[in-house]
Order: sequence, then C-alpha cells, then structure tokens
Amino acid sequence: MSDDSGGFLATGLGRSLANNWAAFFLLLMLVVFSMTGQNFLSIVNFQNVVHLQTVPLLLAAAETFVIISGGIDLSIGFVMGLVSVSAARLMQAFLASGLPVGWVIVLASGIVLVGSLIPGLINGIIITRFKVPPFIATMGMWGIANGLALKLCQGFPVAGLPDALPEMGNGYFLYALPGQFMSLFGKPSWFPDARVRELWRLIPFSLPFILAILAVLAFALKRKRFGRHTYAIGGSMDAAVRSGIDVDRHVIKIYTLSSFLAGIAGVFNIFQTGIGNYTTFSAMYELFAVAAVIIGGASLSGGKGRVWSSAVGVLVLAFLENGLAISGVQPFYRYIAVGVLLVIAVVIDKLFPNLR
Amino acid sequence: MNTQDTGTLPRKALLGSGALRAFIGGRWVIAFLLLETAYFCFRTEGFANLNSAQILLFYGVQVFLLAVAELFVIVTGGIDLSVGYVLGFASIVSIKLIVFLGNAGLPAPLALLLGGAITLVIGLVPGLINGWLVAYLGVPPFIATFSMLGVCHGVSELLINGIYAMGLPQLAADIGNGHFFYLAPGGIVSFFTRPEVERGVQVLEVIPIIVVVTAIVVGVFAFVLRRSRFGRHIYAIGGNSDAAVRAGIPVKRRLLGVYALSSFLASLAGVVYAFMYVSGKADAGASILLDAIAAVMIGGASMFGGTGTVGRTMVGALIIAVLELGLRMSGTPTFNKYILVGAILIFAVVMERYMPESRK
Repeated sequence: MSDDSGGFLATGLGRSLANNWAAFFLLLMLVVFSMTGQNFLSIVNFQNVVHLQTVPLLLAAAETFVIISGGIDLSIGFVMGLVSVSAARLMQAFLASGLPVGWVIVLASGIVLVGSLIPGLINGIIITRFKVPPFIATMGMWGIANGLALKLCQGFPVAGLPDALPEMGNGYFLYALPGQFMSLFGKPSWFPDARVRELWRLIPFSLPFILAILAVLAFALKRKRFGRHTYAIGGSMDAAVRSGIDVDRHVIKIYTLSSFLAGIAGVFNIFQTGIGNYTTFSAMYELFAVAAVIIGGASLSGGKGRVWSSAVGVLVLAFLENGLAISGVQPFYRYIAVGVLLVIAVVIDKLFPNLR
Repeated sequence: MNTQDTGTLPRKALLGSGALRAFIGGRWVIAFLLLETAYFCFRTEGFANLNSAQILLFYGVQVFLLAVAELFVIVTGGIDLSVGYVLGFASIVSIKLIVFLGNAGLPAPLALLLGGAITLVIGLVPGLINGWLVAYLGVPPFIATFSMLGVCHGVSELLINGIYAMGLPQLAADIGNGHFFYLAPGGIVSFFTRPEVERGVQVLEVIPIIVVVTAIVVGVFAFVLRRSRFGRHIYAIGGNSDAAVRAGIPVKRRLLGVYALSSFLASLAGVVYAFMYVSGKADAGASILLDAIAAVMIGGASMFGGTGTVGRTMVGALIIAVLELGLRMSGTPTFNKYILVGAILIFAVVMERYMPESRK
C-alpha cells in the first residue's frame, strides 16, 4: 500500500520495530499492567502465566510449521483432547491390571504419543494425495477427533488417575521458606499442604520442558533442511517442486509434526490437571493458536513465521488476559482485544510486505 | 485462501468416461441423503413420520440459515468464522431490545417486531466491518472474521455479564414454537393457537411457523444467488477475482455486500433462536459453525470459490440434520455424529475432486 522504503523503515530501529512489533507490544503491555495491576509484576504471576501457557505454546509451535508451509491445521485442539482422554483411559486400564504407577505413566504416555502421529499422517495424506484443501481436511479431522474423544470419555473428564501426575506436572525445582529451609524438586513432606502458598516456589518443571521443545523446533526451522523446505513450500509451491523438494512427503511430515505436538500438549494436559480432558467447542485452541502465530508475524499465505515469534504471540494473548484480570477489567474485553490485535498484525504485515 | 492447491490435477480414470463421473459427481449427494433417510426409516422406530420430519426441520433452522450465509462467502472464495457468534450476539441484542421496548410501554407485538427489526439492522455491522477489512484492507477472510468472532463474543458477554439474556414476553415463545395448524381429536382444527384440550389429549401440530419463515428466506436467497446480477457477480469474483475486476464488476463493493449479507442471515438466525428458546447466550451458535461449513462443502461448493448452489447446500444441511436426529432417536450417543460429519466432509471433498460435474 504505502512505500516507506526510504523513510523511517530504512533505519535499523524502524525495521526491528516493525519486524518485532509484537515483542515491543508485549513489553509495553507489561509496563502498563505493572502500573495498573497490583502484584502483576511478580515472579509468582509471571511463572503462573508461562506455566498455564505451556499447552497454547505447544499448539502455536505446531501451527507455526503448518502456516509457514501455507496450510492450516484446525484439528490440533481436538487431537489434543483425544490424546488426553485416551492417555487417561489407558492409565486406568494399566492401573487396573496392577502395573506399578511409574510404568503406567510412562507406557500410557508413550503409546498415545506414538498414536498422536496418526491424525496428522491422515491429514497429510488427504491433503497431498487427494488434494483436499487443508482447511477442510483438518476440519474433518476436528470432527472425527472430537467425536472419538467424546466416545472414549462418554462426555465426562476421565478421573481416577495417579496423584503423581499433577505433582509432577505442577512441580517446581526449588521450594523455600525464606530464612528457614530450602528443598529441591519437591515440597518437604513434613510441611503442611494448607500452608503451601507461603512457600517460595521457583522454576516450574514446565518451563525448561517447553523451552527445550521450542528451542529444538526453532533450530529445526531455522538451521535445518526441514525448515528450509518448509519455508520453500510456503513461499512458492511451484518453485519448491522445481527445485527438487519432495513436496508431498514434506507436507505429510509437517502435518504429522503438528499432530505430534498436539499429542505432547494432550499428555502435558494430563500432567497439569490430573485428569483426562476432552476439548470443548468454545475453547477454540486451534483458532487462538493461529491468532498467536499471526500476531507473531507469520502470514496465512505462507513463507513467513518464526517459532519464537509465535511464542511471543502466545504471551501477548496470555498477558493481555492476565493483566486485564489483575487490573480489575471485565475479562470479556479480552476477546475483543484479541480481535483488534489480529487485525493490527495483518495490517502491519500488509503495510510492510518486505519484512521477513 | 491457501496455496496447497497446485492447480490442475492428474485425474485418474476411476470410472471410465468423464460423462459418467460428472453424472455421479452431480448426484451422489442426493442419493446419499435418500439412502441415509431410508436407513433411519427402517432402522429407527418412529423416525418415519410427519412429526420427526418437523422436528428435524425445526431444530435445523439455525444450521440452514448459517449454511446459506456461509455459502455466499465461500462462493467468493472466502470464509466467515464469525457467523456462530454473530448469532449469539443477535440473540442477546434482540432480547435486550424487546425487553427495553416492552418496559418503555410498547405493546408486546410491536416490541417484538421493532426489536427484531432493529437487531437485524445492528446485525449488519459485524458483516460490514468484516467486508471492509477483507475488501478494502486486504485482511485474509479467516483472520478478519476470526477477529470479529472475538469481538462479538466479548461484546455479547459484556451485554449479559456472563448469564443468559431473558425476559421475553410469552408471545415470543408462542411464535417461536408455534405451528400453523393444530388438529385435535374430534375434527377440531385450530389456526396458530393451540386448542384448549384436556390434559393428556394428543394435539397434532402441523408446520412450525419458524420453518416456513426459514424456507421463504432460503428461497429468496437461492433466487438472489442464481438469478440476480449480484449473484452472477459473486460467482465471477469467486471464479477469478482479477477477471472480475477487468470485467468491470465492483469487486470491493460486492465483497462488502456478501459479508454484510452473511452477518444479516446470522443475526436472523439469532433472532429466531431467541424466539425459539426464549433466551439468548453468547455461544448459542458456537457449535453450529462446523455444521454450516460442512453443509456447504458436502453440497459440492469449492473452498476456492466460484461454485456452489443454495439447493445443494440445503441437501448437505439435511444430510447432517437427518444424521443428528436419526442417531438421537436410535439412542446412539451424538458423539458419533461428529465423527460421521467429519468423515462425510472429507469424503465429499474427495468426491468433488475426482468427479467434478460441469456446473456453475
């Protein structure tokens, strides 16, 4: 629309501002909410936000790969629910058969993680072999996964799982009561549960977990052939074909990866909540994941996007919700704010088409 | 809206001649609907009667209206994710308005009419904004309408503060759940109002008012899409946007109109919802979105635009409605419906790929 090539954008600051506006917006938001909300600016709050965003971060990472390739995956939210419910059912079955708890958790998680490759594999095959648009193929999978999950759990969350799950999923590396004691990897058993809020709890297990996954994915996207091919396919399908990339194979891989990440999210969901949850319609995990990716600077037409930027997009949405709530604003403004942010993201993308 | 499509496909000769494939491609949906209906008629007790046909149409009106809305947008090559929450928004706004007008001293019929009409006008706003974003700012339809989904959701919740919108006059429920004829035993026929009968006496209710209203609206829009210049322009835009511009079609204005129309139909569905259930809530239409889009795709429209008709979309919507009621009446949990709709959706698009019929 406008050509700013010689103006402000040409300066280094201008470029990085437009390139990373979501990150700057996040910083600005943190500053504003620190002033408007009591206890917003605290390690406890920040830890909680990031811990609760583990699932959205995983889903946004999944969506990043798919969107860069020019597709979309609407099924991840419900695949996550299906994985969560089937893992819970498996654990129940294994527990009933008398396996030790440790084995139950490891076996069930392992099996569902392998199983979580299947929806993505099917998506990829339908998209490449039958030339069904990704939107439709993954929407069909959304229905199928949702139905299967509801069938498995009969419409109720699956409870009765080992207590070790939420303890691990919500554990911290360091527990301390200032001036009295410090303990690693778990609350000392003599300390009463009722007073657990007085403890300092630092670095949730989920933090290094999600950082490691994001780092691996970012590395694969930026430095590996897998990533180069993903960008190539999204940039120009024809050029990708002509340069000898096995496009069909690669697209199948991308959807399988996406579904696998949704599977990890599903397993993590069990660790976090201690029950197997199906996904409700109003949760719209997949749409918020797409929103985060777009706010992070990707484009629905493909070829653009970064894992860390998508993570920033997730945090923008998360801190928006958290900050508004802490500042005493009606939580419903959050939905409106998401819409406005998305449009801003796309308009910025349109105004400055030459950014990466 | 995406680049996965590589243009022309190598079509395997699954079934001999192209003519045969086109014949099947054009008709399998109708055959599917008939077979499905026949299956439930034989399999499920009490399915094959007038009453279940009425129930099917009565509870299907929201899907029918949203499917038509979605069809117009999909024919242009776009998508409208906001219709479900526009429906919820309209259900709340209409109730708030009608209650307000009633409190202001208007008689109930006037309050209903005026409140409904104002809601339909307000209901144009989300669509106009969607259309403006898509046509004039170049925002992808997926993003623009998802944003609008968020805005409608937020505004709706703010209006009702997390509970249902309620307080409609009794007349609304009478219209929303009313029928044209009531047949009581002994040859008593009553129009519009339920005859006074003793408790336990069966009254046969014939033709729900809402269904007739919906049928008229769907018919009008079928005509608009098929016969009007507006409709021809929409097909042209979906077929090839550049060519449409060169042919002198005001593409941006038409897109604005299409999204406004989609949101208008969604608000109509919302007002109907308010009359049917005498309550309004933000997520009233959240789960219908999948059904609406699936109906359009099963009806043979292409995600890339340029094809699709109202008639076929209705067949698609009926396939889903029959499935839902049939499963419900045979005592199968409705979970199976989601699986089957998903599977039929994919199957339909594969069929469309391999057996495309030559049509608009």
